[in-house]
Amino acid sequence: MVGQTNTIGRLSSYVRTENLPHLMFTGPPGVGKTASAVSIARELFGDTWQSNFTELNASDERGIDVVRHKIKNFARTSPVGDADFKIIFLDEADALTIDAQSALRRTMEKYTRTCRFILSCNYSSKIIEPIQSRCAVYRFGPITDEAVEERVRYIATEEQLDITEDGVDAIKYVAHGDMRKAINALQSAAMLDATIDRDAIYQITATARPEEIEKLISDAYKGDFAESRRKLGDLLTKQGLSGEDIVGQIYRAVFDVGDIPDRKKIELIDKIGETDFRITEGANERIQLEALLAQFVLSGGIYND
Amino acid sequence: MNISETKIEWSEKYRPTSLSEIVGNGKPVSDLCAWAKEWRNRAPDRKAAILYGKPGIGKTTAAHALAHDLGWEAIELNASDQRTATAIKKVAGMASETATIGGGIRLIILDEADNIYGNADRGGARELVRIIQHTTQPILLTANDLYGVSQGIKNLCVPIAFRSLQSRSIAQLLRKICQNEGIACDAEALLRLAENAHGDSRSAINDLQAVAQGKSKLHQDDVVVSSRDSRDTIFDVLKKIFKKKDIKDALNATYDIDETPDSLISWVDENLPAQYRGGDMVSGFDALSRADIFLGRVQRRQNYRMWRYAGAMMTSGVVVSKSREYAGARFMPPSQWRRLGQTRAARQMRDAISGKIGLRCQVSQRYARLNLLPFVKGLVSDRDYAVRLAAWAGLDVGEIAYLTGSKKGALKVKTIYQEAQTMFEAGIAEEIEIFGGFGQQGQQGLQNAAADLKPEKPKRAPVALAEELEKKQEKGTEKEPKEALKKAQTSLFDF
Ligand SMILES: Nc1ncnc2c1ncn2[C@@H]1O[C@H](COP(=O)(O)OP(=O)(O)O)[C@@H](O)[C@H]1O
Ligand SMILES: [Mg+2]
Repeated sequence: MVGQTNTIGRLSSYVRTENLPHLMFTGPPGVGKTASAVSIARELFGDTWQSNFTELNASDERGIDVVRHKIKNFARTSPVGDADFKIIFLDEADALTIDAQSALRRTMEKYTRTCRFILSCNYSSKIIEPIQSRCAVYRFGPITDEAVEERVRYIATEEQLDITEDGVDAIKYVAHGDMRKAINALQSAAMLDATIDRDAIYQITATARPEEIEKLISDAYKGDFAESRRKLGDLLTKQGLSGEDIVGQIYRAVFDVGDIPDRKKIELIDKIGETDFRITEGANERIQLEALLAQFVLSGGIYND
Repeated sequence: MNISETKIEWSEKYRPTSLSEIVGNGKPVSDLCAWAKEWRNRAPDRKAAILYGKPGIGKTTAAHALAHDLGWEAIELNASDQRTATAIKKVAGMASETATIGGGIRLIILDEADNIYGNADRGGARELVRIIQHTTQPILLTANDLYGVSQGIKNLCVPIAFRSLQSRSIAQLLRKICQNEGIACDAEALLRLAENAHGDSRSAINDLQAVAQGKSKLHQDDVVVSSRDSRDTIFDVLKKIFKKKDIKDALNATYDIDETPDSLISWVDENLPAQYRGGDMVSGFDALSRADIFLGRVQRRQNYRMWRYAGAMMTSGVVVSKSREYAGARFMPPSQWRRLGQTRAARQMRDAISGKIGLRCQVSQRYARLNLLPFVKGLVSDRDYAVRLAAWAGLDVGEIAYLTGSKKGALKVKTIYQEAQTMFEAGIAEEIEIFGGFGQQGQQGLQNAAADLKPEKPKRAPVALAEELEKKQEKGTEKEPKEALKKAQTSLFDF
């Protein structure tokens, strides 16, 4: 397995030489596995990238028939334009059944003249050994804040962008280990304003400021439901955040809110998870989030009238 | 080799075309040649050979190289092709019975033959036995694990073991590639890559391409192979959960291990009662129960966001459950049953087995799971029963391991599987009765009773079954009744 330190460099050397082995990206969600696959395809194929890049989500179609029919047919048809081969990106490959993985073994070897595979999975242990043997394996750890910062500063210098210190911090918060998000945020903010500061970053990425979220939590916990609910309304309507974004931010924030004992925090995390689930199941995310705030009040045990 | 092609994956580009280019494995290669030579005059006794061993050590390569060297035509059928009886007959059967146009020999390569038995390939194995018996052309099989190949097939094949390659041999292979690609390389760098591959030369070549492609020089420092040991182990995580107080630390530690949430939760579950006492344990289990609910949501709804809450509950949730410090009981790995009971794979397994039983009894999978599987589980501790059940329902190695609560690689599982395959191939599996032949039900037995869901008739069956089960348990596991049982048994419930 190749270490992550130079992943980006390695991947771009494939692009330079216009050749690559089969790849397997492993790591938690949201660390840029898909993004890396797409950017390899874009740079390799240019204009024809969409015709030569096929994404299949293995968790939708996990059985052996998919491999024997769909994947095999994709693999053996010729690439479009002057590309040398096409790329099949198998997302969540660890969802493939063992039978399906076995059937993939020889397909990966036989059609190497027309096709390369990039497999993405959360846990390499779920991929059978013969498949791992056929791939160069890259482990994507969560990207550290330092790495994000370094990259952001580097780009800012290269592009002569004016970014404030709190702007850098904001990008780190927004990116949350996703480098692509960081760079996108930087790029979009640069187009918006000459100086890139925290407000610009939060605004362009539709993210609530961390202290707003913290206040939302602690207001409710201290019994001020009305204020907390008003704040929630702001985030949803004025700032245009989605319920899913808000609940994600609340989850991140709750570990660091002062004044709440750890035991209570776990209780709250459980409630947050429940709310997250209900948001996808329910029709109205506002109602679910209000109910969550009410739970915070209950946890805090103080009721203001 | 295809070295003239530039835009092809290195492990394919440098696939040897002739046996002489194959590194290491001298013995198996010469065994292979000896078997092939017998074909010069007429078909030898054993018309098939099976090359087996770990991935990436030259099995498939050797099969094709043999054909190349002897000027034989080669035809390949692998796991990406459908391999039901009909499909195998169509491709391999035809090829095996007819000579080539020029009157030469045609080599039939059945790559990855260890995987023919899935549900999708039903009947394939039996057909293969027939084809090997009747072939006029040589047949080569390859497999990662000989245990995945049925006894019937193995009896007909010359077994040829391929060994994992030594790091030295792999390094030598890598050096040649570097020379060809015009890359100056550091011996130490190549050795490092080779060692990291643990005998699998294909993965070494892949790693080489990963680090060296596009460079003119490969230095030792370019080879950053992540050393697994530097990462946190599961035990570090358990320590942070049970012995420490930091909720964030415990959660973060899980990001560094390659352990699925399903697996992690069974570790915590196993150790919790030994680590905490009283109310702390109760509250710990409550946290695990919540974690499990979130895992269920991941499974059922493919809602992967639920993973983070499951993770937090099974780590941080257990951290805060302790009200005092506990002295160190050793951490134990989860028992097989615990592990099996919780993974998604296990659930799929359970459902697959129920499906197979249901199919044979003509009842729904659900009915089989709720009403028949419990009895089966109670009875498989009897080995004969297990064999007959496996043959009757067409169970694979994993399913037998699941039912008997053993590891997949356990000898017991393998032998049960093999005996079942033998029965299966002998064609007697059809006549086995699993739910029949006892009491008043006579030959029809539960097979009909279960299929017939009208309330009047089938009532008796489960009762009778339960009685049988009780009787069996009374008999216990002593040797004597078992012997008696062996002789008289005409059906799996006829004790
Ligand atoms: N013994 C070997 N000598 C030379 N190259 C090998 C050897 N074993 C494997 N390789 C390399 O690894 C690749 C895969 O080998 P293959 O024969 O398909 O492995 P398997 O044993 O899994 O069938 C080949 O293309 C070749 O590049
Ligand atoms: Mg092979």
